[in-house]
Amino acid sequence: MEKPAPLGCGLGLRPVYYDEILATRPPVDWFEVISENYMIPGGRPLAMLERFRADYPIVMHGVSMSLASTDPLDFDYLRHLKELAARIEPAWISDHVAWTGVHGINLHDLLPIPYTKESLDHVVDRISRVQDFLKRRLVVENASTYVSFEQSEMDEWTFVAEMAKRADCLLLLDVNNVFVSGFNHGFDAARFIDSVPVERVVQFHMAGHTDNETHRIDTHDQPVCEEVWTLYEQARRRFGNVSAMIERDDNFPPFSELLDELARMRAIDAKIVAERARGAA
Amino acid sequence: MKLAELQSLFQAGVLSGDEEGADVLPAIKPSQRERRETLYGVYVNAYRLRLDEFLNEDYPTLRLLLGEDAFHELVEDYVAANPPRHRNARWYSTALPDFMAGSAPWKDNARAVSLARFERALTDAFDAADAESLPIESLAAFAPERWPDLSFSLHPSLTLFQLEAGTVDAYEALSAEEPHEPPPPQSGAEFAAVWRSDAEPVYRQIEADEYLALNEARAGSAFGKICQMAAFQQGEALTPERLAQMLASWFQEGLVVRVRDEEG
Repeated sequence: MEKPAPLGCGLGLRPVYYDEILATRPPVDWFEVISENYMIPGGRPLAMLERFRADYPIVMHGVSMSLASTDPLDFDYLRHLKELAARIEPAWISDHVAWTGVHGINLHDLLPIPYTKESLDHVVDRISRVQDFLKRRLVVENASTYVSFEQSEMDEWTFVAEMAKRADCLLLLDVNNVFVSGFNHGFDAARFIDSVPVERVVQFHMAGHTDNETHRIDTHDQPVCEEVWTLYEQARRRFGNVSAMIERDDNFPPFSELLDELARMRAIDAKIVAERARGAA
Repeated sequence: MKLAELQSLFQAGVLSGDEEGADVLPAIKPSQRERRETLYGVYVNAYRLRLDEFLNEDYPTLRLLLGEDAFHELVEDYVAANPPRHRNARWYSTALPDFMAGSAPWKDNARAVSLARFERALTDAFDAADAESLPIESLAAFAPERWPDLSFSLHPSLTLFQLEAGTVDAYEALSAEEPHEPPPPQSGAEFAAVWRSDAEPVYRQIEADEYLALNEARAGSAFGKICQMAAFQQGEALTPERLAQMLASWFQEGLVVRVRDEEG
């Protein structure tokens, strides 16, 4: 399977950090942007994105492709996405195994689906059509979910693996989402990670979440927690050198704290590389 | 249950705001740790919180003018009447001023409607389409006798308003570093222009004659016709000095992006 080259350790590009990034040129290997934030006519956001693009690889991450919705695919949205991609030349384009609304409404959330054969056929068909339209392989992410459905016929990891194989798409493994959904639904996060096909994964997401004791919510407003770092190490051992990044979307800390988290990510990566080198020697 | 039916039920519950009575609940698997109503409620609550956040971000001075309670009521009314239809959250709040203008009790608060329009234009100017502004020296390319035949394209970020008198003062009082009570509403109208300059939204109060002239210019009228229209509408001849001053300021403020000689 041909995969895009790994980009290293990245961060989500957020306006609150624009000035600091431009002034300090921090040691971040690449940035991920929320595609919709730049699907606008013009002005400062697009101008800034082009400045960052001149210095860093960029990945476009969308939140409203609504791959699992039973509404028709929104080709206006896809056309705008394609135009932005032509302008920014991202390393890849990603979105989620989720739906955002039906009947023409967009709830601005990543909503859960039952893991059934019907859902699988539906999502596979839509990913295939999107890939045909965008003329590139899509990278598809597992979402955090808070409810599961009685009618599910398979585990989420079985669904994701089968989806990737049948749609011939690539995968973004959100390690925090695996942990959050595992906690909420009582499945073993480590088993999820061990079931995802190695050859399909091109990116990891890391993020913090909110612990509500009985359930956890994917809020991206906290540092990455210890359990998720442990899963990251497991994922890194399984999937090897794939691009990884940290998402932070609220309760923004000083940029240096995000760089500290990236340093921890690099330290884990280096430890695994060193162990493998010793093992090979 | 087919996926389409499940999604309809799931969405209907989110839109209704009632996680306890949602028809989708029997389709949701019980959790060992938490009631399914509470878990489904994560989606129901997130929906409202998110839309509330969009509106708060885009209308900070309207919120101060109305006060927390009234603004919250406005948000609830708007969200109930306007489920989001655009993929991009950026556009969710765009219809708020028109909603206010057409819905009781908000339509009776002319100052609030006017301030909402003004604030929306500032947001719209921020990410409106790009266009290169022309320097005033571009006029030198045309002989003065050609000027009556010149027409202009204005910056795509430009919005021209007739507002309730006192709107801009209210905006300035409420957007100050230390927001203070705006002056009391006045009767009558005032005129303003909002556009983008150096990547930031800017505005200027304008006189009625300039409002007319800018509207004509944007419609593509030649400068000679703009002068006639402005003079006619105002019921008196505009001095050449006044017109030259207006044109110069349009260039200096980056409003002119193209000059065409209609006859040339």
